Amino acid sequence: MDEASSVARVKNTSTVRVSGALADRDGERLVEEVSGIISEGKKDVSVDLSGVEHIDSRGGAWLALASLAAQKEGGRVSLEGARGEVAEFIEMIRPVFEERARPAPPRKGVFETIGGKALDAWGELTDACGLIVDAIYWSFIAPVRGRGLRWKAVTDEVNEMGYQAIGIVCLINFLLGLVIAMLSATQLRRFGVEIYVASLVVIGFARELAVVMTGIVVSARTGAAITAELATMTVSEEIDALKGMGLNVAKFLVAPKFLAILVVMPILTILGFIMGVVGGFVLGVVFLDFTFELWWEHTIWAVTVGDVTQGLVKSFVFAMIIVIVGCHNGLRVVGGARGVGLATTRAVVMDIFFIIVADMVFATIFYFIT
Amino acid sequence: MTGAEPIIEVRDLVAGYGERVVLDGISFDVYPGEILVVLGGSGCGKTTLLHHMVGLLKPLSGTIRYWGRDIGRMDEDELATLLHRVGISFQGGALFNSMTVGENVGLPMREYGNMDEEMVEILVRMKLSLVGLANSGYLMPSELSGGMKKRVGFARAIAMDPEIMFFDEPSAGLDPILAAGLDELILDIRRLLGVTMVVVTHELESIRAVADRALMLDGGKIIFMGKVGEAEQSSNSRVRQFFDRRPDAAIGEQV
Ligand SMILES: Nc1ncnc2c1ncn2[C@@H]1O[C@H](COP(=O)(O)OP(=O)(O)OP(=O)(O)O)[C@@H](O)[C@H]1O
Ligand SMILES: [Mg+2]
Repeated sequence: MDEASSVARVKNTSTVRVSGALADRDGERLVEEVSGIISEGKKDVSVDLSGVEHIDSRGGAWLALASLAAQKEGGRVSLEGARGEVAEFIEMIRPVFEERARPAPPRKGVFETIGGKALDAWGELTDACGLIVDAIYWSFIAPVRGRGLRWKAVTDEVNEMGYQAIGIVCLINFLLGLVIAMLSATQLRRFGVEIYVASLVVIGFARELAVVMTGIVVSARTGAAITAELATMTVSEEIDALKGMGLNVAKFLVAPKFLAILVVMPILTILGFIMGVVGGFVLGVVFLDFTFELWWEHTIWAVTVGDVTQGLVKSFVFAMIIVIVGCHNGLRVVGGARGVGLATTRAVVMDIFFIIVADMVFATIFYFIT
Repeated sequence: MTGAEPIIEVRDLVAGYGERVVLDGISFDVYPGEILVVLGGSGCGKTTLLHHMVGLLKPLSGTIRYWGRDIGRMDEDELATLLHRVGISFQGGALFNSMTVGENVGLPMREYGNMDEEMVEILVRMKLSLVGLANSGYLMPSELSGGMKKRVGFARAIAMDPEIMFFDEPSAGLDPILAAGLDELILDIRRLLGVTMVVVTHELESIRAVADRALMLDGGKIIFMGKVGEAEQSSNSRVRQFFDRRPDAAIGEQV
């Protein structure tokens, strides 16, 4: 198709004549010639296309580049003599020859930025509070008033969040129990009171370790899954579809997860507690050669109902954090696949952060009341 | 058109999902420069056929040849090189939602076009202006209407000046004026850039406007292949029913 093409300036005029197909080599030449003419102080350049038989997108793009280059210097390019297909093609891509009007991105000052961030945070907080209220209403109040609950969804969620997580929660707590026991044994050995490892492990797991570890495992498993699910539904307009059918998102999606996690978290926490203590047992009985009875005695003696309750109370709070953070991040997602990824990351980070903060608040309260 | 070597030859294509056979041994050719329209009821396997023709799905049996070369025997690189010469516009638009409209259209150019950024920008704007969206390059797909998404998908399909293009229902979801505009655009692109096209569509108006030949699928077989005018006189009642827009007795499950 590259039949002897050429770009040449007609002597002593401001006309550039193009013939043949406007290949890349000629395109560059064309831009140079046009700029050359403009730099001589002439404003109107004409490009004579009467010798062009055929033009493709690249050729069209070169014409546009030449035209834009001229406009930048305050000049103008007029295309002349185009025939048939060439003329038609140029007509079709007309907007490309005009300087583009791109809306300038709004500039913001420091205070506006800070103010905007604060407003965003406030908006998120009120959204999240609304979600908590909705979740509580649709989980506890609405079913009693006969407005229904999706029991099937609840049991599915219990299976997914709880039953499926038993293995990993038990394993992690068991290993952590072992680690904590070893760590404290090396310290207590110096005072010859290794038997107190038993009490230390049981108190640690009842109050803190079981519930925090379980919370972290559940936020990584379930929290991430909740956000990914709701975020995908949001970006693919499924949430809109639900609303459009007059279905309540809080009832349909949030309440089953909320109820399920409130059931699941305490149970997983208790299992984690038991496995952590078992981890301590394994160290004490197998490696430190204490008798089972002695270790058991020290375990039972150390722990109180209050310790276990403390862990359980926290497990409810952590459960709420996970489900609310998960749903909130999923429902406010914008953009496509990338938005879903970002929302999920954000949700897990927020989960862990809020779990630790809540844990600290509880620790402070219990410290002062006991 | 006749007499020329076909660009694409499909032979005894059997295709399906798992156990389920959707296309049951179909054969046809696509000739250079023609617009072949694929018709058929919803769920008859048009999208499935298109996806097989561009190698997204592997046939259960049968061959698909481009310029005489079997795509089933190509390795990944060869197939990729072939697909550089092919443009596809998907039924759902399939835009990347985290990129702007302009980035969507410019993606293939930036990824394997080795062009200057300036050139890419001009070409993006050109393709967008062809679909009437010259000044929408900075928008995100979530800010577009359904029909606009469709047109951006179209612009992305023609980004690399393909030699063969596949359109899955290009005009579904567009208003009649835009749909007619798109038909015109299809014809213009074919005429000015000499592209061969395979177009899936339901719209009778579109079919009459753009088709050189039509291929109609039903029950996994080709029930009609030829000029649109002939289809309307076809002896097959199913074909005539389609062109007369007569409903089935009841909209039954046609599986
Ligand atoms: N990914 C898939 N897995 C299993 N079955 C599928 C899949 N995609 C499509 N099918 C089935 O294959 C058949 C053909 O689907 P296809 O999408 O090709 O139809 P179509 O002719 O494009 O319909 P429409 O006009 O509605 O787009 C349908 O019956 C559908 O149920
Ligand atoms: Mg389809």
